Amino acid sequence: MSTGFPELPALDLDGDPKTCCARLYESEAARWLLDGELHPGGKRSTLRLAELAGVAPGTRVLDVACGTGTSARLLARELGAEAVGVDLGERAIEQATRAAATAGLADRTRFVHGDAEALPVGDASFDVALSECSLCTFPDKERAVAEMARVLRPGGTIAIADVTATLAALPAELRTAAARVACVADARSEDEYVQLLRGAGCETVAVERRDAELTAMIDRVEARLRVARMLVPAGELRDRMREAVALARAARAEVARGMLGYVLLVARQP
Amino acid sequence: MAPRGTLPAATRSICPHCGTLLDAELHERDGRVFLRRDCPEHGPTEALAYGDADRWRAVQPYDKPGASPLLRQTATDQGCPSDCGICPEHAQHTCLGIIEVNTGCNLDCPVCFAESGTGHQPDGFSLSLAQVESMLDAFVAAEGAPEAVQLSGGEPSIHPQILEMLAAAKARGIPLVMLNTNGIRLARDARFAPALADIGVHVYLQFDGFDDATHLAIRGRRLQEIKRAALDRCAAAGVGVSLAAAIERGVNEHEVGAIVRFGVEHPAVNGVFFQPVTHTGRHPAFDPLDRLTNVEVIRAVCQQLPDWFREDDFVAVPCCSPTCRSATYALYDGEDLVPLPRLVDVDRYLDFVTNRAVPDLEVAAALDGLFSASAAGGTERTAERLECVACGVGLPAELRDVAARGFMVVAQDFQDAWTLDVEKLRKCCVSEIVPDGRLIPFCAYNAAGYREQVRADLSSSAAAP
Repeated sequence: MSTGFPELPALDLDGDPKTCCARLYESEAARWLLDGELHPGGKRSTLRLAELAGVAPGTRVLDVACGTGTSARLLARELGAEAVGVDLGERAIEQATRAAATAGLADRTRFVHGDAEALPVGDASFDVALSECSLCTFPDKERAVAEMARVLRPGGTIAIADVTATLAALPAELRTAAARVACVADARSEDEYVQLLRGAGCETVAVERRDAELTAMIDRVEARLRVARMLVPAGELRDRMREAVALARAARAEVARGMLGYVLLVARQP
Repeated sequence: MAPRGTLPAATRSICPHCGTLLDAELHERDGRVFLRRDCPEHGPTEALAYGDADRWRAVQPYDKPGASPLLRQTATDQGCPSDCGICPEHAQHTCLGIIEVNTGCNLDCPVCFAESGTGHQPDGFSLSLAQVESMLDAFVAAEGAPEAVQLSGGEPSIHPQILEMLAAAKARGIPLVMLNTNGIRLARDARFAPALADIGVHVYLQFDGFDDATHLAIRGRRLQEIKRAALDRCAAAGVGVSLAAAIERGVNEHEVGAIVRFGVEHPAVNGVFFQPVTHTGRHPAFDPLDRLTNVEVIRAVCQQLPDWFREDDFVAVPCCSPTCRSATYALYDGEDLVPLPRLVDVDRYLDFVTNRAVPDLEVAAALDGLFSASAAGGTERTAERLECVACGVGLPAELRDVAARGFMVVAQDFQDAWTLDVEKLRKCCVSEIVPDGRLIPFCAYNAAGYREQVRADLSSSAAAP
C-alpha cells in the first residue's frame, strides 16, 4: 500500500545492530522523519563540535559512521578540512560520494565503506576522529574508541557527539532493540563516555551539553510520525506508528527528567 | 521603530481615569510585564500588559518592520494617540479594516466594548449603504489591495442592507470579507447563510463556551442552541466560520480547550479567535493587575489540550506588535491534531532581527501571509499558503489536503485604557474605518476616545435611526 511516504526498510532488530542502524539511517523514511537532520542540532552541533576539536583548514578529519556525508561536506566546505567518511551503509557511501562531487568537494572529501570496529584506514593518519550519534549504537564501544585512537596521530583529538543515558533509570520500553537503533537503549552516561575515552588513552578536555537539541529532534520526529499516521489506514502499521509516537513521548519525558541527553565531548591523545 | 528587547521599556500611556497622556514604563515583576504610569491628578496606576516576561522578550524579534499605506488621512499634530488616523507617525499599514455598520443589536450583553444594545441607549446610528461604500473606497484608496475587512456593529446582521454592504466589499476585490455576528439571524433566518455563501462571506461568530454561567456572564442569555443552529446552517450552506471567544478571568478560562475541540470537529468551523475581554465599554468589574493576556489564554489551551498544544506552538504574529496576537495552524484528521510549527521551523522565517538566511522564499511568503492579522482559517488564500508550506516541508501530496484545511487558533489581546501602550499602538494593523474616511487603529478607537466621538457625531447626524 502506498501512503505517499517513503517506506521504512525491513529491519532485523534481533540481528547485528550496526547493520540495522546503517540500513535505517540511509533510508528515505528515516531522513524524512528526521527532516534531514540525522543528529540533534544538525549543522549547528557539528560545527560546534568541530570548533571544540580545533578543526581548521587542512585538518585531516575522519568521520566514523558518516552516513551520506553531510558533516564531512560541511567540515570541508565551511572549515577547509580534509575529510574522510566511513560508513557501513553501502548506499550511504555511494550517495555521499555523489553529493561531494556535485558540491565540488571531491578533492577534499573521500568516502569509504567499512566498519567502525575495524576502520579501513591506516594508523596515525588523522588529526581528528569524529563520530556523531553513532557510538551509542555500536555493540563494542571499547573497540570502536580504540580504533579511533589507533588512526590518530600522536596528540590527535577524538570528538564525540552522542546521546547520553542513565540506563538503569529508563523505563523498559526505552531499553528494547528498537530503542537501541533509535540511539537510546545502548547509550552511556557522560561519565561512562569519559571513562571509555580514557580507556583508549584519551583525556577529555571539553564537555558541552546540548539536551535542548535532543528535545527539539524528538519533537520533530514525533510530529512527523503523527502526521504520517494520518495517512495510514487502521491496521497493524497504524498501531505500530502509535507505539512509536508513545516511545517518542517517553523519551522526551526522560530528557526533561535528566535521564536522557545529548553531549559534545572532546578528548586528546597524549 | 526599533524593536524593544529589554525591560524596563519606556512608552506612553493614558490615565485610565481621565485619559491624560502620560509617560509610562513597561517593567518586569514576578516574571510578568506590567504597564505603569503616574497621573498628576489620579496618582499611579498599573495594569498587567503581558503574562510572561520571558515570552515577552522571546517574541520581540518577531517585530517585522512595518509597511506604509498608500495614503495617510491625517497630519501629525498633538502626537500619538491624538492624531488618528492614519497619521504620518504610524508605523504600519492596515491588515484588517473594521466597519461598524450600526450600534443596534438584538442582545444586551453585559460585556460589549461597542456599548451596543436593543435600543434603550439614548444615542446610536445605522450607516447607509452609500456611507459604507464610501468607507470601503477609502480603505481601497489607502491600501491599494486590502486583504481583509470585517463588518461589525452593533449586530450587523440586523442591518436591512447588510447583504448589499458585504457584496460591496467583495465587489472591491477584498479577498476576505467577514461578518462579525452573534449568530441569532443565522439561526432564525434560513435564507441568511445561503445568501452569505453566495457572496463569499466568512462568518466571525461570537462563541464564548458551553456553560450556562458563561453565557449569562458574557451575553446575558443562554445562547447555546442558537450558536449550534447558526453553525449547522453555515455548514449546510458551505459558509466558513471562525469562532470568536471573549475570555474573562474566572468566567470561561476553563472552556478554551472544549471550544477548540468543538471547533475542529464542526464541519463549518475553520478556526478559533480567543480574545481576552477588553475592559472598555460595558464590562464586569475586573482587576487590572490580574487580567488575562494572550499568555494566560495560550497556557489554558495547552493545559486543557496537552496532547495537542504546547506554548511554543503559538507564533507571535509579526505584522502588529508581537505581543498583540499569537497564532497557530494545526493539521487535524479526526483523531489527532498536529500544530504546523512542529513541522516547519517558523522561527527561521519570521525572526526579523536575527540575521539568518531564509531557506525558501516561497515558504517565507506563505508563512508571512498565514501569520498575519488579515488571515483566517478555511479561506482560499489560507489553503493555498498552507499547501505551499506543506510542500516546502516535504509532506506528501495526500497530506497537503489535510494541511490546506489547517485549523487556526489565535489569541488576540486588544488594549483598553488600562493597558494602552502607545509604542505598541503605533504598530497596530487593525483599523476602524469611519465614515469621514479616517482609518483609526482599533485600540486607539476603543481606548483613546475616538469611539465616543464618532458615535456622538453620527448620532446627531441625519443618518441616525
